This record gives sequence, structure tokens and C-alpha cells, in this order.
Amino acid sequence: MSDILSTSVSGLLAFQRALSVTSNNVSNVATPGYSVENANFTPQPGQVTSVGYFGSGVAIESVTRSYDELLAGQVRSSQSGYSSFNTYATQAGQIVNMLSSSSTGLTASLQAFVNALHTVANSPSSTPQRQVLLSQAQGLAQQMQNYSSQLSTYGAGIESQLSGAVTQINTLSTGIASLNGQIAAGLASTGQTPNTLMDQRDKMVDQLSQYVTVNTATQADGSMNVYIGSGQSLVTGSSSQQLTAFQSPYNAAQHGIGIVSGGSTTDVTSQISGGSLGGLLAVRSQVLQPVQNTLGQFSVGLATLVNQAQQGGMDLTGAAGTPMFAVGPVVTASASSNTGAATIAVTRTSLSSLTADDYTLRQTGGAWQLTDQTTGKVVTMTGSGTAANPFLAAGVSIVVGGGAAANGDSFLIQPTAGAAGGLAVLLTSPAQIAAASSIQTTAAAANTGTGTVSASLVTNPATWVPGTYKVSFTSATQYQITNSSTNTVIGTGTYTSGTPITFNGASVTLQGTPATGDTFTVGSASSSSVGDNSNAFALIDSLSAANFNGGTTSLSNVANNLVSQIGVLTQQAQSNASAQKSVNQSATDTRNNLSGVNLDEEAAKLVQYQQAYSACAQLIQTSGTMFNSLISAVHG
Amino acid sequence: MRIATITFQQNATSQMQELQAALAKTQNDLSTGKKLHSAADDPAAMTSVNQLNVQLSASQQYVTNGNYASSNLKLEAQAMSDATNVLQSARDLAIQANSATLPAAQRQNIATQLAQQLQSLVAIGNRVDSSGNYLFAGTASGTVPFAQSGNTVAYSGSSSVSQVQISPNQRISSGDTGAAVFMNIPAGNGTFTTAGAATNTGTGSIGVGAVVSPGAWVPDTYTISFTSPTTYSATNSAGTVVTSGTAFKDGDSISFMGVQVPITGTPAAGDTFTVAKAGNASAFNTLQGLITTLSSPTLSSAQLSSQIGGALQQIDAAMTNLNNVSASVGARINSITASQSTAQTVQTSLKTSVSQLSDVDYAAAITQLNTEELSLQAAQSSYASIAKLSLFNYVK
Repeated sequence: MSDILSTSVSGLLAFQRALSVTSNNVSNVATPGYSVENANFTPQPGQVTSVGYFGSGVAIESVTRSYDELLAGQVRSSQSGYSSFNTYATQAGQIVNMLSSSSTGLTASLQAFVNALHTVANSPSSTPQRQVLLSQAQGLAQQMQNYSSQLSTYGAGIESQLSGAVTQINTLSTGIASLNGQIAAGLASTGQTPNTLMDQRDKMVDQLSQYVTVNTATQADGSMNVYIGSGQSLVTGSSSQQLTAFQSPYNAAQHGIGIVSGGSTTDVTSQISGGSLGGLLAVRSQVLQPVQNTLGQFSVGLATLVNQAQQGGMDLTGAAGTPMFAVGPVVTASASSNTGAATIAVTRTSLSSLTADDYTLRQTGGAWQLTDQTTGKVVTMTGSGTAANPFLAAGVSIVVGGGAAANGDSFLIQPTAGAAGGLAVLLTSPAQIAAASSIQTTAAAANTGTGTVSASLVTNPATWVPGTYKVSFTSATQYQITNSSTNTVIGTGTYTSGTPITFNGASVTLQGTPATGDTFTVGSASSSSVGDNSNAFALIDSLSAANFNGGTTSLSNVANNLVSQIGVLTQQAQSNASAQKSVNQSATDTRNNLSGVNLDEEAAKLVQYQQAYSACAQLIQTSGTMFNSLISAVHG
Repeated sequence: MRIATITFQQNATSQMQELQAALAKTQNDLSTGKKLHSAADDPAAMTSVNQLNVQLSASQQYVTNGNYASSNLKLEAQAMSDATNVLQSARDLAIQANSATLPAAQRQNIATQLAQQLQSLVAIGNRVDSSGNYLFAGTASGTVPFAQSGNTVAYSGSSSVSQVQISPNQRISSGDTGAAVFMNIPAGNGTFTTAGAATNTGTGSIGVGAVVSPGAWVPDTYTISFTSPTTYSATNSAGTVVTSGTAFKDGDSISFMGVQVPITGTPAAGDTFTVAKAGNASAFNTLQGLITTLSSPTLSSAQLSSQIGGALQQIDAAMTNLNNVSASVGARINSITASQSTAQTVQTSLKTSVSQLSDVDYAAAITQLNTEELSLQAAQSSYASIAKLSLFNYVK
């Protein structure tokens, strides 16, 4: 009878504990990261008798959690993917929204500027029309400055988020290492798994996966090693390595990601992928910098083309045209690690070779090497880097000065990054717009042919030598050009109506059929030519010409290609984020279906354990009744 | 399959959130009328819309340019038509004066009338457009183009005119220079001019003449000298005799160097006539020359007839020139009209393309809104009823 009693008591104790597990499960039905726990019953060893083994009740052998390492890994990897793409899409979305308004976007503003040029061309002596053009120019410059400052704000936001993410990762890795220690100690002392601590640790690893892609390896002592990037160890047992957001050698405001180990920092920026950290690094290099640089390329193009045409023309007062736009210079920076005394001076030389990439100039084995940071390729330079014979490559000229450079010294060259922020209008008065050509061609009064002047322009202010030139027709189709002051023939040619006659940076277009002996005199324009608009057309033509990327792209296309390129990147990130979200959702569902609490299941267990507990209690009573029966039988 | 209670809760919430986000997007599309809000929505469409908008804006600018040029050209056409009327009156007066019987006083009277016609012609040449720019000054639009000083009218405008862009690849002149309209009128028959010397004493009068063999004509100044009423020789500027004759009679034509000039009347010995390479004669100077001729009381009737005849020819040449320029102006106005009408068609099609790419299809969007609304309602109501199901409700 005592065996009935003790067996029943063991049942009572076991079901009480099982009910406690169930109540814990029910209580944690809404706790994120909680894994459902099971009380594992085991029969007590039986007592041997001559007639066989008699069981001696039940015991709870262990309390285990429902957990699967593989499913947890799937959740984490999809979480890293999702938060990487989502961060990318959110950041790039802000930039693409800024650029893509069809009414206020870059292409629309540029066209408004061109339309204002046409309006000036229609009525070149009208000050109100010139004022409109000047206002459009100021609007365009303001727009570029706004874009540039907005991009700087986004950039600063990205840098601060990078630092924030690094801090979070460090907090989590410290926490995981500490939990590893407790779990290993707990397991070693009791032999039982500390389920709550393990849930906590898994939750922290889950959180870590939002910031960066993680890989885990569970050790025999119950601790979990965590790796990021391409195998960089973040947590080993109970010790963790710290990540750091270190300042870029070229720009203190920009950060790289490093792992601190033994007092030295290893740069792992290029190995970081996934998570918000990966997304931020990708959006910085794939969207933010290219947009800033392309806007710079656009600004340099606008300023160069407009200024060149302005300088070839004459303003309303009869003075030579002056540049309309100022643009930010080439940005250069020497690496903070440089030990030599060399300095560089970089200027832009060619619009068609100018790219939207950044470059590094590095002293390697006694020679300077230029590398395109975007493509990673070495760019061939001509020249020797002296002021007389500068290095020429990628549309810039580089002069290396100062002292000697040490091997490994390097410089960052950003030909376009600072241009957009520096775009400003230099003209202060509408009269300064050079709508008129600075030269004029006059038909001699005695001409008998039907040749008329349709345009005369200085197309290249650099090679134009002011003076008086005479185009004389030696036959109806042959002409010669004479410098009137020196009376020397400087050129001859075959005449075609409407085809420009060019010499000394000037271009003169005649139409009709001149007669033999007809002459046309090309000289400085009279200040009375206030109604001349030929230079306004030179401005319009230069803006629509394909002057970029080796003469394949027009200014308007530079802007439109940028919108399209960033739009595609953002769209891809959005659809990847959406796909990863589904994957993550499904992985989370699968994991939760294994590890989560099901209330109906717990209700059923509650009923089961409650009934079993009642039955055990009933057995104790039965044992009492049996004992009473025996006592009363003995006492009679 | 085992489903965790939290899965059911989380999924129901996230699905409802997604449906709400979709509803918000469709509602935003409907309220803005646009389906393309950012380049990320459809990069290719956004790029096309940007390009189409640039084309549209440029096309609208070309129409504005055309209107500007057209209004200028119409002013110019009006001025030229007025100038033709003035020249026609002058021509009528010249015919009236070209009569040997007309008394000198009458001729003087006609000269006075012609002087007024000349004033009118100068005034027409100095007309301004609505902004005060001179129509015929070329690019020197702020400079008075024609000024009369003494017996000559000089042109101070420029010899080039502004162009206006009226289509993506067409630029036309928005005017013509005063030089082309009033000044550069070919003198004589266009190849050479003829004149009798003022000192001639005979009745010989030289006609306009004609080119019979253009290849043989060498531009130069030729002098036909009569040594008797029937004997003449023609020499070039170097003094080389190019032709001579001994049997001249009234009405004969003298031929040399591929040209033919008629002389009527009887020249006296020592009379000379010149045949010179044609230059340009301005309409103003033609009128001024006519006024001088008519005001001169000393001219013989032969000289009068010859000079009035020459003037009449010059007036005709000026009117022909005005006609030619008017025709070119008319052609330019037509080409503006044509390009504007093309632009309207192009703009309509551009707008349609932009609309197709960026505007919402209301029927489709409303259908979508209804579908999404229905889905959300279904999700909400099913959640509400399923959430109530629990075994705990029955465990008493």
C-alpha cells in the first residue's frame, strides 16, 4: 500500500510540475522569441519481485524547448536580406523622389532655361525677357544647391545610422557573449538546458541579423559562436569582438567599418553584407555618391557650355560676354596616413572625358597610379605630373607638387562631387546676357550676288583673334579669307550656301549665291547690334549637343539617365525587399509553428494533466481506504 | 499541421496592414490622378515621361516663337505693301511727267509731290514693331535705319537679321534688312546700266538695252562716242575699241560684248553714252534722282525722256524687289503656320503618351479599390470570428 501511496505522490508531483510548464507556456503565448516547453515524463524504475517488475511511478526527466537550429538560421538570413534591401529602398526612395518629379525635375528645369533662352532670342533687346532668363538660371543653380545640400543631409543621416548600427551590434554581441557564459555554466552544473537563457540568446542573435548577416555555430558546452561578413568572428564563447565605425582616411565625415582586435582595427567595410549595415553601405556607394557626382557632372557641363558661349558673345551694353555660372572645384583630399610631403592640384580639362566616378592617386614603387574607385580599374595617365606637362586622364589634369611622396601615399580625387553645391549665377544684371555675337559680318554695298549673311559667331573664344577679316569670292563657289590688318590670306575654301565658313575660332554662315568679286567683312560687332540673337542660338545649340561621355550624351540625357539609373536601383531594392519579406514571413511562420505556443494544445494538456492529477489524488484516497479496511479487519 | 497561436495573430495583422497599404496607394493614385509618382514606380516610364515633357515644352516654345516671328513678318509685309503703293503713286507721277509738252512749272509741281512720296517711303523704312524695335534695321534694332541727308538716303542698320526657331530643326529669319528691301535693287537691267552724257547736244536717247549673250559680257564701263550722227565707236575703260560703226540711224541697236543697246533720235557729233556694270540703286535714291531730274529746268527733252525712262525702270525694279521679298515673307508666314499646325498635332500625341504613361486608369483603379476593400473586409471579419475560437471557452 505504501507503494500505491508513493507512486501516486510521484504522479501528483509530476503533474503539478507539468501543469506549471503548461501555465508557463500559456503565460508566454505572446512573448516574442519564447520557445514552447515540454515536460518530459519518464517512468520510475520498477522494483523487482518474484512475479515481475512493479513500476514505482513517474518523474519529470527534463523540461525541453521546441527549437530547430536550421529553421532559426533561415529566419535570420531572410531577416538580414529583408532589412538590407528595405534600408536600401527607403534611403534610395528618398533620393529618387527628390529627383524624379516630372514638373520640377532636372530635365524640366533645364528645358525651362532653354525656353527662356528662346524668349531672349525672340526679343534680344527686351530687358524683361532677359530678366526671365536670369531668374531661370538662378532657379537652376538654386535647385542644384538644394539637391546637393539635401544629399549631404541624407549622407549625414546614413553616417549616423552606420554608427548607430555599430553600437547596437556591439551591445548585442556583448550580451550574447555574456549569455554564452551563463548557459555554459548552467549546463555544466545541472546538466539541464537553461531554456530561458537560450531563448534570450536566440532573440539577440535574431536582432543582430537585422543589422548584419550572421552565421552561428553551437558548441558542445552550449555556447554559440557568431560570425559576420565573410567569416569575421564576432562572438567566441563568452568573449566578443567590438566593431567600430572608423573615419575614412580621406574624409573624416565618412565612416568605414572595422573589427577591433588586440588594439588594432581591421577594415572589413567591403566584407560587410546584409542587414541594415550592408544596406546603408550599399546605398552610400551605389546611390548617394553616384547621384552627387552625376549632378556635379551636370553642373560642370551646364557651366562650361554656357560660359564658353557667353564668352564668345556680346552683351546688351556692347561689352564682351562674361561667364554666367560659377561651379564648385575638383575636390581632392590626401590620406591621413600619408607620410610624404607631396601635394596635388587638380583642374578639369575636358567635358567629354569627365566621368561621375571618384579616383585615387597612389604612389606605388616610385610611380603614380590612378585608380577609378567605381570600377576598381587602373586608369592610364599621359604626362609627367609637372606643371608644364601635367597628368591627363578622366577629363582632369593633375599637377603633383610640394615635396617628395612616400611609397603608398595616396590622394582622393573627386572631379565632380563638389560641383553641384558650388553652382551659382555670376551675372548680376540682365544686360550681361550675351545674346549677340561679338563679331558681325557685313556685305559690301557693291556686291552684286544674292549672298546674304545668316550668322556670324565666335565659336571658340580661346582661338579667336579680334580683328577685321575679309571673305572675298574669287568665283561663285570659291572664297578666300584675308586678314585685313596684315593683308595676308589666312584661308581659302569652297562655298556651299548655309555651310559655316570657319577660321580663327569664328564661324560665318552665308546664304544665297554670291557673285565673283563680292566681299563680306568680318569684324567686331557694333554695339548697336542689340537685336542680334545669334549667340543666344549658340547657347541653345551647345546645351542640346552631345558633349558628354565621349560625345554620346547631351546635358538633358545626363539628367534623365540619372533618374532612370537610380529609379531602377530603387525599384530592384523594393522588389527584393518585398520578396525577402515574404521569405522571412514564411521562415518565421515555419519556426513559430514549431516553437510557438498553441493555446488549444495547452488547453488539452491542461485537461489531461488536471485529470491525471485528480486520478492520482483519488489513488491516495484509495490507498487510505485500503489501509482503513485492513485496520478495521484486524481490529475486527 | 500545428499552428502557433502567435503565427495566426501576427499573420492576420500583417496581412491587414498590407491590404491597408495597398488601399492607401490606390486611394492616392485616384486622388492625384497619377499612377507614376516616383522613378522607382516605373523607371522606364518615368524616363519617357521626362523626355516627352521636354519635347512638349520645347514644342510649346516653338509655337510661341512662331507667333512672335509671324507678328513681326506681318508688320513687315504690311510695310512693304504700303511701300509698293507709294512707289506705284511715284510711278504714275513719273509717267505723267514724261511728256515733252509738259510745262516746267508742272514738272516742278510733280517733283514736289514726289518729294512727299520719298518722305513717306523713308517713314515706312523706319517703322517700328510693338516693342519699338525698327523693323528694317536688321540686328541693329535700336538704330534708325534710314536717314536722309542732302540728296541721299543712307542705311545705318545691319546687314544681318535675327533668326527664330520655329520647329526642332527649322530656323527662319524673323525679318529682312532695310538693305535687302530698299537698298540693294539691281540697277539698269540687272547686268548693266546705260546713260547719256549730260553734255550731249543731239536728240539721241539710249535705251535700257539687253544681254544677248551672257557668256560674252565682261563687266566694265564702256563709252559709246559719236564722231558724227552716223559714226560711232565703243571703247572699254582701258580705251580699247570693242566695236565701231559708220552707218548709225535712228532706232539702231549697237551690239558689243554680248549686249545690245538701242539709241533713238539723232546723236550729235561729240555726244557720248555709257554702258556700265550694274550696281545697286536704292528706291530712295531713284526717287531722289527723279526729283532732281524733274526739278532741273535745263535738261533737254531727250535727256528728260532718257532719265525718266531710267527712273521708271528703277521704280519697277524696286517694286519687283518688294514683291520678291513679300513673297519670301509670305512663304515664311506659311511655313510658320505649317510648323505650328504640325506642332499642335505633335503636342496632342505627346500629351496622350504622357497621360498613358503617368495617368491613372480610373476604371481599373476603382475596380482595384473595390477588390482591395472587399479583401480587407473579409480579412477583418474572418479574423474577428476565428479569434474567438479557443478550447479554453469549453474547459470549465
